[in-house]
Amino acid sequence: MSDRKNPTGAPDTGHTWDGNLRELTNQPPRWWMITLYLSGIFMLVYFVLYPSIPTFTGYTKGVLGWTQMKRYEDSTAEIAAIRAPYEEKIKSLPASEIAADKELVNYTQRSVKVLFGDRCAGCHGAGGAGNPGYPVLADDDWLFGGGIDTIQQTITSGRQGMMPGFKAMLSEQELNDLTLHVLAMSKGGEHAPGKELFVNKGCVGCHGMDGKGMQMIGAPNLADAVWRFTPANEESVKYTIAHGVNAPGAAETRNAVMPAFGNQLSETEIKKLAVYVHQLGGGQ
Amino acid sequence: METTAAEQKYNFEVVRWFTVATVIYFVVGTFIGVYIAAELAWPFLNFDNPYITFGRLRPLHTNAVIFAFGGCVLLGTAYYSVQRTCGVRLWSDKLAWFTFWGWNLIIVLAVITLPMGFTQAKEYAELEWPIDILIAVVWLAFTFNFVMTLANRKTSHIYVSNWFYLGMMVMITYLHVVNSLAIPVELFRSYSIFSSVQDAMIQWWWGHNAVGFYLTAGFLGIMYYFVPKQADRPIFSYRLSVLHFWALMFGYVWLGSHHLQYTALPDWTGSLGAAISFAMIVPSWGGAVNGMMTLSGAWDKLRTDYVLRFLIMSLAFYAMSTFEGPVMSLKVVNALSHYTDWTIGHVHSGALGWVGLIGAGAVYHLLTRLWNAEIYSVKLVNLHFWLATIGIAIYTIAMWISGIMQGLMWRDYDEFGTLTYTFAESVAAMHPYYVLRAAGGFIYSVGGLIMLYNVVMTIRQASGEPRASVATAQA
Repeated sequence: MSDRKNPTGAPDTGHTWDGNLRELTNQPPRWWMITLYLSGIFMLVYFVLYPSIPTFTGYTKGVLGWTQMKRYEDSTAEIAAIRAPYEEKIKSLPASEIAADKELVNYTQRSVKVLFGDRCAGCHGAGGAGNPGYPVLADDDWLFGGGIDTIQQTITSGRQGMMPGFKAMLSEQELNDLTLHVLAMSKGGEHAPGKELFVNKGCVGCHGMDGKGMQMIGAPNLADAVWRFTPANEESVKYTIAHGVNAPGAAETRNAVMPAFGNQLSETEIKKLAVYVHQLGGGQ
Repeated sequence: METTAAEQKYNFEVVRWFTVATVIYFVVGTFIGVYIAAELAWPFLNFDNPYITFGRLRPLHTNAVIFAFGGCVLLGTAYYSVQRTCGVRLWSDKLAWFTFWGWNLIIVLAVITLPMGFTQAKEYAELEWPIDILIAVVWLAFTFNFVMTLANRKTSHIYVSNWFYLGMMVMITYLHVVNSLAIPVELFRSYSIFSSVQDAMIQWWWGHNAVGFYLTAGFLGIMYYFVPKQADRPIFSYRLSVLHFWALMFGYVWLGSHHLQYTALPDWTGSLGAAISFAMIVPSWGGAVNGMMTLSGAWDKLRTDYVLRFLIMSLAFYAMSTFEGPVMSLKVVNALSHYTDWTIGHVHSGALGWVGLIGAGAVYHLLTRLWNAEIYSVKLVNLHFWLATIGIAIYTIAMWISGIMQGLMWRDYDEFGTLTYTFAESVAAMHPYYVLRAAGGFIYSVGGLIMLYNVVMTIRQASGEPRASVATAQA
């Protein structure tokens, strides 16, 4: 073959395949051989430094004493040291006193951002702005109460309101009248036939004569324009009256459950969240 | 004439079918990828339809590009080059056709079962046990036919491309079988026989070696045949090919554990994998160096030979991603890069850059040889080349930025020792890069569509008359 096709000048191995496939006898580039040996040396050094080689009874630990657990503990210790003075105070004080300490509130707001963002915002929205079907936290309307200790209780144990469905007890006409009354109450008015049902069929037992609800049992205030289930129209209100909320055994009932975080978050974390959520709505 | 004689001597028909299937799957597989990339950027594209959600289309995308496109180009080129380098026809035509139809049946079954949600939940090994058995049967038929053809060879020595194909066949057989060991409970449901972290280790032993032996060793087989053939130059160094071949064969199997650092995997397993991964940079580069040095004195050909451009650019991406991967496996880098989009960018610089480009180069080369025709439009080959290169650049750069940003946002904490960003904030920050990624992938896929058009037009124009000269795609 001509030199044009082999400028390196090395002879080939003497074999030819498929007409023109040949292999030259060039040595691999020197830099490649050197780095190949260096790679081997690197590997051996790494084996000496780090836990690498399994043995019959365990494995070589490496001279650096590196373990991934230690790496984890070291980095979390660094963070824990920064947090410690604040965390100790928060641990020893009730939520209401934390809320009164400016420095602690400042710390709490920063430290709770990701906690709220990862744990709460999924339902309650960023900044507690709410989502369809989930309560707004950034207002001063509370189902179970907006006191700081109540909020802490809510986060720790969760909440689950209950309203029976009235579909079996009321006629279609009665359901419609009641619906109109509930809608009227939210605007400060009333719908007379509905009002009679509201009193006689037991609604007042939980929602009260004036429809202002009862936070003790999580019965919502119907006399304001804040709605637990949206949109605020006849269809939605009628559905809630007919099927209830968390009514046992009723497939079509509204679901409204706040899970308990007592077994997922530490007491301090919950306290911090309570302080944060409390000031979101202005605080009661 | 020579071509007529070759036509009679070799089984080119099965290679033609594999070649056409390769191009179709290339287009389909990459466009599914574009769609799911768009789903990540604009989630409404899920349309609340379970069959087309990201979770189900993503394995369809990976299976389509790795096993449909990758499988067809590997089987097709292996059948083509083993015949030509051994100077004999395939040992069995029937077995070759069995592998063609068998492999395509597997692909059809994947298209049906994956969107329906049937999965073993093992990455790159999602297909359920009956399909796994079919894969093993077809793969062994392919291997057996290849080995018997080698045994019948008229040449004294086995050409280097065949070592790589053979290495792939042996290793993939045993990786696929062990990783797929499962107890079936229903036609499309089974449980892995391995549990917990051992299952994870076996999964990544397979997962990384699907990359190492299937997408690397197999495609190096393509490189060792098509680069010297297209360049009409001898392989630069026989010795280098021997050294990096054995280094790859012995080295790659150890790497899987670098996917599981900082998990329940024991410390020693993770560092063993990381150390050997890093030591694999140089052996990996052996193939890239040998391919590029084969062009010594022929670099001017890159100006005019667009097919050669595909092959050489693929080697550049190969060298880049085999450097990037080992760096990412080092503990300190892995702590940042793991679980981020950087990994996705790394995979795609290898998949789009190395596997995709060398596959396309081989297809263009085969087109002229199998249909005895000049390529319909050399300009379109050039357009495909540039679309592919620009697409890969946009894709990988977007994922580098996005991935490193993700890693930094996740670990960042403020002066109170509290995390600075919520997870949702890191997701929101990814959005522009997800859009860019979809755009880069789209550009790359359009290149594939142009290749499909060019292939169809070339075949339609092929007169079937034998040609005297060796075709090169010259402008």
